[in-house]
Amino acid sequence: MPELTYREAVRDALSTAMRQDDDVFIMGEDIAEMGGSMGVTAGMLEEFGKERVRNTPISEMALAGAAIGAAMQGMRPVAEIMYEDFMTLAAEQVVNQAAKLRYMSGGQLTVPVVFRTQGGAGWSPGAQHAQQLEAWFVHIPGLKVVFASTPEDVRGLLWSAIYDDNPVVFFEHRTLYPLKGDVPQEIEPIPIGRARIHREGEDVTVIATGRLVHESLEAAEEAEGEGISVEVVDPRTLQPLDEETLVSSVKKTNRAVVAHEAVTRMGFGAEVAAVLQYQAFDWLDAPIERVGAKFSPLPFAPVMENFVVPHAAEVLAAIKRTVGKA
Amino acid sequence: MATEVILPRLGQGMESGTIVRWLKSEGEPVQKGEPLFELDTDKVTQEVEAEAAGVLLKIAVPEGEVPVGQTVAFIGAEGEDVPDVPAAAPPAEASEKPLQAEEEPRTEPAPQLEGAAAADGNGRVKASPLARRLARERGIDLGAVRGTGPEGRIVAEDVERAEAGGPAAPPAAPALAPAGEVERVPLSNVRRTIARRLTEAWQIPVFQLQASADMTRVNALVARLRERDPDVRTTVTDVLTKVCGQALMRHREVNAEFTEEAILLHPSANVGLAVAAPQGLVVPVIRSAERLSLTEIAAVRADLVGRARESKLRADDLEGGTFTISNLGMYAVESFTAVLNPPQAAIVAVGATEERVVPMGSETAVRPMVTLTCTFDHRAVDGAPAAAFLQTLKESLEDPGLAL
Repeated sequence: MPELTYREAVRDALSTAMRQDDDVFIMGEDIAEMGGSMGVTAGMLEEFGKERVRNTPISEMALAGAAIGAAMQGMRPVAEIMYEDFMTLAAEQVVNQAAKLRYMSGGQLTVPVVFRTQGGAGWSPGAQHAQQLEAWFVHIPGLKVVFASTPEDVRGLLWSAIYDDNPVVFFEHRTLYPLKGDVPQEIEPIPIGRARIHREGEDVTVIATGRLVHESLEAAEEAEGEGISVEVVDPRTLQPLDEETLVSSVKKTNRAVVAHEAVTRMGFGAEVAAVLQYQAFDWLDAPIERVGAKFSPLPFAPVMENFVVPHAAEVLAAIKRTVGKA
Repeated sequence: MATEVILPRLGQGMESGTIVRWLKSEGEPVQKGEPLFELDTDKVTQEVEAEAAGVLLKIAVPEGEVPVGQTVAFIGAEGEDVPDVPAAAPPAEASEKPLQAEEEPRTEPAPQLEGAAAADGNGRVKASPLARRLARERGIDLGAVRGTGPEGRIVAEDVERAEAGGPAAPPAAPALAPAGEVERVPLSNVRRTIARRLTEAWQIPVFQLQASADMTRVNALVARLRERDPDVRTTVTDVLTKVCGQALMRHREVNAEFTEEAILLHPSANVGLAVAAPQGLVVPVIRSAERLSLTEIAAVRADLVGRARESKLRADDLEGGTFTISNLGMYAVESFTAVLNPPQAAIVAVGATEERVVPMGSETAVRPMVTLTCTFDHRAVDGAPAAAFLQTLKESLEDPGLAL
């Protein structure tokens, strides 16, 4: 089984799709010669040429709109929005156009576009270059939202996103790009809407996304040492949500922690907690714990940034609260 | 930053409370959950527990009436600064509101309902949804389960332990006391309240009157009612309630309350039934018993007693009683005297109905007999009217038609 970094896995999915399918192309700011600000598309210009690896002006709204137009015309564009924060600039096109057109045209139009974007703290990027805004987009009917946490998942899910006939907002985490992991020899598409159980456990289910999947696995390891058996589940797709897997895991363990890097307040985890309490109410033996960033713009200062965003220690503390060992 | 200690609202109708005394002094360390001060709210004096740990930095209100929500003290780190607060509430506001509150049902935590560690301030047992489901499925009374989860919550493990009949819980389970050693059962707030109120009741000058009644007809009546309407399951207690209700309205001086200014004669007979709930004695009230039919009384009684046993009584179920029936008949107690339930002026203690040999003219007969012992507040009721009341009670039991 080959080993790829998360970054290489993204590139592999893009390149493989572009090799087999002329309709697939990529566009974004500085993705061609520069290979993207995170180096994800490095080398792709040489292979595919500038027709299919398109640098765009610095206007997220324009590039998102162009991608949507191409998608409506039958292409399968993958637009890179350099930072998740800049999704706010593309929001008009993503939210008001891409998400709505299939519905408003009575199915006459489809918009098979992918908006790849990345964010995340841990490298002192400050308040405007590291937000986790997935909660903005899971709230929009008409969009699918993916947030992969491993090389295998990011490759298999990006593949499915490219070939989905609906607009997909595809979140990557900045600090995961160098993460290495085994991937299947051939790309195995991972269905959108299916969670992954990373680790089985008996006492507490931690439902985590993005970087927090890894923090949660670390916390689970530590909890194990204290006699607490932790199950770690990554929904991978935030919209649609694999409620069945999450609920059945919690029905088994009777306790749940929801963990993400985005601010806790009104976060994606709030929706997960609501789903769990409703569908597994009589199985819950403790209040559902939520772990996320403090309600603050992200500080530049590394020590402050570290304070604001959650890590394994916060997940572990939440795990312990659910079993009454806090 | 120092944490403010706020005067808590112990029930919906509560607008203010009177701080009786502080159990901690300034500068003393305080644990979260430790009793901090005694708060009087007309009906009960309750200890208010600290919601934060630290040092009691400042007592802003040493004693007296305080509106709900006012800061009365600060807890924080030693040497920490404390903001200024107005010393006491403007008296005008504080004294007006409680009057209005009188009309609303008070929902102070019924002290009898607390008991198990997991009960919160409103008498509700704190348990996880899973624990509740398990208890429901397995027929376990959560009121009798001790919670070991966060904040004393009953969790699934506690229910399973209770079902297995094991020790209450590791932290709570006292190791088997070595023979001869005194076991200390710490006083719960409920216990303290009961102790205080009963001690108060004991100071009331009381007298007892006793009479025995032939229950032949009551038993026949109950049997016939059950036959006619098996779903309702009328009991002897229901007949007693009805009979007491009628007797109280005929002898209103017994359906009374003594106050310093006047004796209050209540307009209806609200009969309280002493019920052994899991956490201890509770006295839910059947209102206007004189106006209800036996079937209606049976339905109300079944609901109240059922909820009492499940610890689901509301505070207003326990309020407004004008008389109490305490029945220990099921325990083979021949007769006993009950302590008054102030401010009520009378209580009847009912022993077991048992076969006794009784003279019938020059013959003897064996009859089901019950002994009633009434305790009266002598300040409100004199011996003769009390005796007349008891006689009505006896006659009505021996010939229930008289109570109609």
